[in-house]
Amino acid sequence: MKETKCEAIRRELDELMLGDECSVDVTQHLRECGACREFHEKQTRLRQIVGGLGTIQAPPDFDFRLRARLANEPSGAAFHLRALQWPFATRGIAVAAMLVLFVGGVVLVRNAMKQNVVPQQKPSAVAVGQDDPTRPASRPDEVKPAEGVKPAEGVKPDSQTPSVVVASSDVVPRRNRGDRLSRPKPSLASIDRASEGASVMSLSQRQSAIFPIDASLQSLKVSIDDGDGNARTIFVPTISFGSQRVLATGNQFAQKGVW
Amino acid sequence: MNTLTTIDELAFAPQLQEVLEDPTSDHALLEATRTGDQDAFAELVSRYRNQITSYIYRMTSDYDGAVDLAQETFVRVYRARDRYQRSYAFSTYIYRIATNLAISELRKRKRRKLVSLTGFFQPSDGAEPQELNPPDCRPLQDSELVDAERRNAVQRAIGTLPEKYRAPLILRDVDGRSYDEIAKILETSEGTVKSRISRARGFLREKMRAYL
Repeated sequence: MKETKCEAIRRELDELMLGDECSVDVTQHLRECGACREFHEKQTRLRQIVGGLGTIQAPPDFDFRLRARLANEPSGAAFHLRALQWPFATRGIAVAAMLVLFVGGVVLVRNAMKQNVVPQQKPSAVAVGQDDPTRPASRPDEVKPAEGVKPAEGVKPDSQTPSVVVASSDVVPRRNRGDRLSRPKPSLASIDRASEGASVMSLSQRQSAIFPIDASLQSLKVSIDDGDGNARTIFVPTISFGSQRVLATGNQFAQKGVW
Repeated sequence: MNTLTTIDELAFAPQLQEVLEDPTSDHALLEATRTGDQDAFAELVSRYRNQITSYIYRMTSDYDGAVDLAQETFVRVYRARDRYQRSYAFSTYIYRIATNLAISELRKRKRRKLVSLTGFFQPSDGAEPQELNPPDCRPLQDSELVDAERRNAVQRAIGTLPEKYRAPLILRDVDGRSYDEIAKILETSEGTVKSRISRARGFLREKMRAYL
């Protein structure tokens, strides 16, 4: 009971402002309870010390510095307006930057494609078919003859027959459907290049050539009209680009099917 | 005929009018600032610059930082002059800004994790930190020196209090503000404020035992 009363008295003493007079009950209790009296004395002393810290003075140039700072501040309204506009401005800048990058990229790609397009000649090999009758025949525009493009490795040029010349697919410009429909079909004719020497293909050129041949298991049949009504058919065997199987253990360079 | 409500309004009207018409009141000065009167804002600054600087200094124990934060407090008041509401006293409003800035600064310091020289003297087992400058109990010649030493010790002791105890203690025991105002400044209840002040004094009593 006494503990509770002491706690209540101390709480009341705590809530008093320094210098305020205590109530009669508190004064009476302080006379009787030495512990609370000691608490009150120490508490008063502490509060006097803390209260005696006083007020720290601001530096003399406080106003001057504040004025300078406010002078550099934008006006309040402008500040709020800018704060509101900033997210939109940022998004706008980002969208504009992305648009510029996209348009620039498109222009660059188109320029690069234009520069890479080799002047086209009349197609020398035109009738291109495959063994599979269900497959649509390759369109003539998929096999493009071009100057300087070398035949594939392993396909030796026949001196009696026109060489089958294929172009790398990266130089074939993509055509619109309308262009394909309106373009006249090329006549079935070939150019006799028997007298021409076989062109030499360097390694770097070989690597860059891409053959638009479907890498299926079916062989490719090319029919060529030599211009005199003699049709020649060339069977191109299935081209294998090889494969390797990587094993976790064992021979990592084993051929396909070899374990 | 006036109704009861009107009579109540009449009873409060003179005080309200007095506040509104007194050109030297804080509200009137801020109202004048809103209309572009720079002198009115200068008057507000001159009224509160020392109080705010002192309060922030007691909170942060860094004079230069306290001056910067006090300036930031006034800049924020100036920026928000159009949004100021008269629901609270201006002093409550500006002290709330200052408190938020000071607490924010204290939290920044915690994040920075500065290497404190006093840290070398602190026990690693989480016990109470020891004073770097333990009180010198020898009698001093000059009472001013004694007071100065005591003030430094108090400031150091306050600086070791957790921020939630530090702010109400300073507002109450240094600035002499009422519990109601402190509760509004700290945006908490009066009961919480009383409890925190009581605990803060308990902490201080332990730390200042040599001076009591």
